[in-house]
Amino acid sequence: MRRDDLRPAVFGTATRDRVLIRLALSENGLHVRELARQIESSANAVHRVVIGLERAGVVVSRPVGTTRIVLLNRRWYGAVELRALLERLAYAYPEVRERARTYRERPRRIGKPR
Amino acid sequence: MIPPGDASLVDVAFAACTVLDRAGETAVLCGGSAAAYYVPDLYQSLDIDFVVEVGAAPHVVDRALATIGYLRASEGHYRNDRLPYTLAFPIGPLAIGREYVAAWRTQRREDRVLHVYTPTDVVRDRFLHYWAWGDRTALDVALAVARAHAADVDLAAFTAWTERELAADPSYDPSRIGRFLANLEPL
Repeated sequence: MRRDDLRPAVFGTATRDRVLIRLALSENGLHVRELARQIESSANAVHRVVIGLERAGVVVSRPVGTTRIVLLNRRWYGAVELRALLERLAYAYPEVRERARTYRERPRRIGKPR
Repeated sequence: MIPPGDASLVDVAFAACTVLDRAGETAVLCGGSAAAYYVPDLYQSLDIDFVVEVGAAPHVVDRALATIGYLRASEGHYRNDRLPYTLAFPIGPLAIGREYVAAWRTQRREDRVLHVYTPTDVVRDRFLHYWAWGDRTALDVALAVARAHAADVDLAAFTAWTERELAADPSYDPSRIGRFLANLEPL
């Protein structure tokens, strides 16, 4: 993530904006390390953001093996409006959209190339 | 007022709600713990979830819960060394899906008080858990509460609510409503 990025931090920080936008582009959620990689941030920074968002009820996480998958909380009372806003904001983040487009979430047989 | 070591979830919920009420904070029992209140023989939980009014002062909550031996362990969670139950305070407002919850039941036991979701809201809440995440346990709990409190569960209101949720978020699977109602019918 560039330090001289002039895009406004709508949700308080650039990392929080990107985490939310990337999650809005995900059907099944992402684990923190992958989420950090996709938005070009550190896993620690993303972890801190996720904890805050989870505490607010905006995102949820579920354990999968030794990691946790994070996703937007569709049960949250503002979930529909938030997702619509994030999908709109995503147009200001073509690099995040492009990574989301090329990131494969659906199952893929072992041995097949990504 | 301090719950004994063998206190049940409901005992602790009454104690916590009462001290908060006396401190001027209305805390409503919700989530799985509200289900455990209505069907204690069928569903138990070690997490007791309350939603307090938005803007409740943390120091007031801390002080009230300390009087029953519950101390803040992390943000929003309180523990008592002698009891297995954790008190959790998810951030409000009180809502099920897109809809705010403005009314709840107030139960009394001698001088104690407990604000808790109505049976209809427990069914909505547990069903939504199943609807959103596919959690079959939540479906079973919703069904158990609906059966055990059939006279108090407003199925017409439930169905109308599912239609509103579905209209707002068409990605919800409508067949899960049918599964819930079909499982309810034979009884």
